[in-house]
Amino acid sequence: MSKPRVAIFDFACCEGCQLQIVNLEEELLNLIDVVDVVEWREAMSEQSHEYDIAIIEGSITREEDAKRLEIIRSRAKILIALGACATMGGVNKLKNNFDLNEVKECVYGDDASMPHLDTAMTKGVDEVVEVDAMIHGCPIDRKEFTYIIRSLLMGKKPEIPEWPVCVECKAKGNPCLWEYDQVCLGPVIRAGCDARCPSNGFRCFGCRGYVDNPNINAAKDVIDKYGLTVEDLKEKMILFGSTKGPTNE
Amino acid sequence: MTVKKITKADFTDLIEKVIASQKVYAPQAKGDKYDFAPLTSAGDMKLDYDVTLQPPKKYFIPPVETLLTFEVGGGYQSQFDEEKFVLLGVHPYDMVAINQIDKLFSDGHFDNHYMNRRTNATIIALDVVNASKNVFASEIGTATVKQGYDLLLTDIGDAYIAEAATEKGAALLAGANAADATDDDLAKKQKVQSDNELSLSKHLLKCPASDLPKLLEKAYDHPVWEEQAETCFACGSCNQVCPTCYCFNVQDDVNWDMKTGERKRAWDGCMLDGFTKCAPDHEFRKNRADRFRHRLFRKGKYVPYKLGGEIACVGCGRCVGACLPDIANPVNVYNRLFDDLGNG
Repeated sequence: MSKPRVAIFDFACCEGCQLQIVNLEEELLNLIDVVDVVEWREAMSEQSHEYDIAIIEGSITREEDAKRLEIIRSRAKILIALGACATMGGVNKLKNNFDLNEVKECVYGDDASMPHLDTAMTKGVDEVVEVDAMIHGCPIDRKEFTYIIRSLLMGKKPEIPEWPVCVECKAKGNPCLWEYDQVCLGPVIRAGCDARCPSNGFRCFGCRGYVDNPNINAAKDVIDKYGLTVEDLKEKMILFGSTKGPTNE
Repeated sequence: MTVKKITKADFTDLIEKVIASQKVYAPQAKGDKYDFAPLTSAGDMKLDYDVTLQPPKKYFIPPVETLLTFEVGGGYQSQFDEEKFVLLGVHPYDMVAINQIDKLFSDGHFDNHYMNRRTNATIIALDVVNASKNVFASEIGTATVKQGYDLLLTDIGDAYIAEAATEKGAALLAGANAADATDDDLAKKQKVQSDNELSLSKHLLKCPASDLPKLLEKAYDHPVWEEQAETCFACGSCNQVCPTCYCFNVQDDVNWDMKTGERKRAWDGCMLDGFTKCAPDHEFRKNRADRFRHRLFRKGKYVPYKLGGEIACVGCGRCVGACLPDIANPVNVYNRLFDDLGNG
């Protein structure tokens, strides 16, 4: 059986998730033993239009990017969103909370009107095309990446946690950061990171996105208990939790 | 059965000697809290701890463990932990929890992975010195413990009274500089235990714990489940810190050769979304309220049925502190049910 052909593409992002794949180091040899990587701008010069699996990194911010993504989708049997920018728009979605022209001028100054900077509302990959698998996180977790790839190659559905970060955090015996005045998003954010930030004393920033079924009532209760306001909580959630338009809920 | 009196300094010396030959896990400081961790110096053990973040269950049911290695379409090889170890400083309520899981993992299906670790362990139990802020072991009858340990320590101020309950415990104690306990020492030990039987009660249960299975029989459709679950994150914190929760999930992962792999078992929790998901993606306990009820029915009715009436909440109070929206406290829920249904 010939090896599946894999292509890795980047859109609006810092390319740090691809870097995590490069950082697999010797494990990278295992990866290319089981797949043929035919395009991967960050690591090789070759390009190809023929691939079975497309891995998409980055968010979609321009009309031309959406078109490029649609073409990739039409060529790939399986499309994987890689990292927070791809799975939910990521940090880039912050701009959806502001006037787009203002944002553009703030970032690009005099160049703001150049045609290639004509950006619209930020979208996650699944807001543009159908996505078959999501690899969450900012950046992605290398172990989870390799597990998902192996599962897909075995024809198995990878098990991605539906439960929040607290599960992994408590299993590690961490004290709750809320008790130490940190507004940790762990209770509503998807696990799978092994609670890396809270285990190192930093609140969960929410880079893996919300669980499928977050409890807003519980969140309201907890912010009351700790004498915070909805605004305080929103301020923490906005980094990775911005929505398609301005973040209102 | 040997009962000795050993000074605290001599006990520290004994543990220092034990560390040289065996792995020892003991409660140690973790920030301003405590947790069980590998002991590298006897001076680091904190035997006056109130409660640990995680119960010592993790040394018998690790959060993740490899059950076996396999070859796709071929055979498999079970994997076992063979290392002997000493688990030091187990409070009575946690010892009761271990005793319960011993029964559950050996009756019917004998779980070799678990029982192997149990056989490899020497458990030194310890009567509570300082009550934690949420402990309610006195309400359940788990403030003291009579069995399961190899050695039981009771702090009587200037010394420990050490009671060896097994040969393993006696052998361990034989290495210590210790005197036979006098009647006066035993009276002091008895005093500590009878005090604990009353004082580890920061939350008061309105009915005897043994009445809970009967109370719950009437409570399946009570509104309390919906009300409490309204603010439940379904984060499973209550499950994850519980000494008697033992549910697990099993998953396979293949190696890069795509031919060999590992089967792993990891903690699961009945409060979590997806806990009851089965083929084909059917989830039979999808509502949070149903899962909230299930957890308290497990502790107060279902598991007690397997244990001959013993309540499967040991009153450690960890879930009370771990629950951000403050809804996990079993005593509050059981009391509410007692108020509404107790005399009916």
